[in-house]
Amino acid sequence: MYAVDTPPQKTAEPARPEPRRVNRVRRRSQRDARTAWLLSLPTLLILAALLAYPLYRMIVLSFQNMRLRELITGLTPPWVGLDQYTKALTDGVFWGVVARTAAFTVVSVTISVLLGLGIALLMRRVHSKVRLFMMIAMMFVWALPALVAAQAFRWLTDSDFGVLNYLIDKIPGVDFANHSWFVNPWEGWAVITTLVVWAGIPFLAISLSAGLTQVPKELLEAATVDGASAWQSLRNITLPILKPLLTIVTTLSVIWNFGLFTQNWALRDGHPEPVYQTLATFSYTQAFGQSRYSYGSAISVITVLLMLGVMAFYIRQMFKIGEVD
Amino acid sequence: MTTTDVTAAPAVPRPLARQKREKREFGALNGLAHLALLGWAIATAGPLIWVILASFKSNTEIFLGKPFALPSSFSFATYADAWTEANIGQYFLNSVFVVAIGTAGTMLFGSMAAYVLARYEFRGNRFLYYLFVSGLAFPTFMAITPLFFILKNLGLINTFTGLILVYIAYSLPFTVFFLAAFFKSLPHEIDEAATVDGASHTRKFFQIMMPMAKSGLISITIFNIVGQWNQYLLPVAIMQGAGADSKWVLTQGIANISVQAGYHAEWSTLFAALTLTILPMIVVYAIFQRQIQAGLTAGAVK
Repeated sequence: MYAVDTPPQKTAEPARPEPRRVNRVRRRSQRDARTAWLLSLPTLLILAALLAYPLYRMIVLSFQNMRLRELITGLTPPWVGLDQYTKALTDGVFWGVVARTAAFTVVSVTISVLLGLGIALLMRRVHSKVRLFMMIAMMFVWALPALVAAQAFRWLTDSDFGVLNYLIDKIPGVDFANHSWFVNPWEGWAVITTLVVWAGIPFLAISLSAGLTQVPKELLEAATVDGASAWQSLRNITLPILKPLLTIVTTLSVIWNFGLFTQNWALRDGHPEPVYQTLATFSYTQAFGQSRYSYGSAISVITVLLMLGVMAFYIRQMFKIGEVD
Repeated sequence: MTTTDVTAAPAVPRPLARQKREKREFGALNGLAHLALLGWAIATAGPLIWVILASFKSNTEIFLGKPFALPSSFSFATYADAWTEANIGQYFLNSVFVVAIGTAGTMLFGSMAAYVLARYEFRGNRFLYYLFVSGLAFPTFMAITPLFFILKNLGLINTFTGLILVYIAYSLPFTVFFLAAFFKSLPHEIDEAATVDGASHTRKFFQIMMPMAKSGLISITIFNIVGQWNQYLLPVAIMQGAGADSKWVLTQGIANISVQAGYHAEWSTLFAALTLTILPMIVVYAIFQRQIQAGLTAGAVK
């Protein structure tokens, strides 16, 4: 980048007439700017039309009251000001969903990141053939659509024919035949969390183990020679070097898990009971199931604000890291 | 670990016994590492193997109560059933079509934007970068309602064009974020030399930057293929209306069989369909095998 805007002639040919050079540089940078905007244009247009504009529409919609009638007739829905927001914010059910989604996000992200990091670290210790095998196995899990993984887990935990009950039932003295995993919400959420963690670890472990290759071996060796324990090396050498990547993958995991939809949706057969609702399914059910499009939008807006509020610092960090050269 | 001993020995002379003990500790730790990874490997592969085995079994075999027993015969009849009778073949091809064009579009637009954002200083650079990347902080499901109305107004509901455009839009933020960082890390000297030699922008981009960025481009391509192959909520919201079921993608087809399986009891068809979803990944892996392995083992060589 520096090469383009600071011309190499500056020091090499000081004898060159000043005005002409400035002129040429300016013309070139103008042409560069035009090319740059031209090449960014498709991305700009697509994102403006399909991400930014829907976001704007969503905000507008949340101040209206759009029901099935307006959807069919195409009439402008009546403006209701902040009604949808007060309705959501004074609704105990909504806050229950918020608390549930937040708790799930914290628990699932913590477990996934810790296990992902652990597996990435362990993989440094094993033979490269074993590592390659692990990587390939994890790539397949990572590539498995969330819906497919959820279907597999749904049948694994099936009360009548599931493998899980079959295996647990084998333990002497335990009767798990026909045990239903979703009657007790704690057990149900344990299954959902296991599924999300299981499917989430491969991405974390693969990215983090790529990041671990950036940790200079000499540094770790020097630390070992100086008598640092494995824990000290991890804390004082590996983790600081890994920190930018950890911030990125953790932030992404929070964004993904906070938007949990497919897994609880599929495990509960498209009709999640109230205790299995997350903000995503709740907003979707309100909008499309109950035709309360505006209420669903208000919930979405509140969700985005909540997440941005909590994550602002990390998202900023993440953007900054992306900028570092 | 061997290098540790070699480099450490001359610098810090230590009693042999201590070195030996350390080595044994490392051995034990490595043993534990292998054991823990074995556990994780079983946890990773277990459900996959169970699904694949079940896809070859008849209904009675699935429910016989021996989940990890081999099927009595390996016949692909269930796959044929899934492919034709459950329309999975149609949905599979739809998915391939949408993902192929979606990923190609994402890579084309994303790499162009990331390249100029990373390598050109121009007015509005930061603005564009933050605008593009802020899409990352935006959970997919959020704008489903308005997205539906916008596509409806554009006449793009229930069309592949609409779905592909939406896939591209949702994939672009991460692609630009990742590739911009990648393009920035590439050396400037070659680029400069090309400029001095009078190479055009297009030429510089396709003949110099693209080959240099190959590993990054392949990684993000795979990431996008997987991400778009994975989509369920977006196609459900967009592919609806009259005759939509002929345009469904694979995940929708699977959800449909799954709902029907409850009534018609065609579980092996479901498992065959589930197995089929992994097929493209095997193809992608076969195509990029060399690059993926190089990328994955890069650390080992270092």
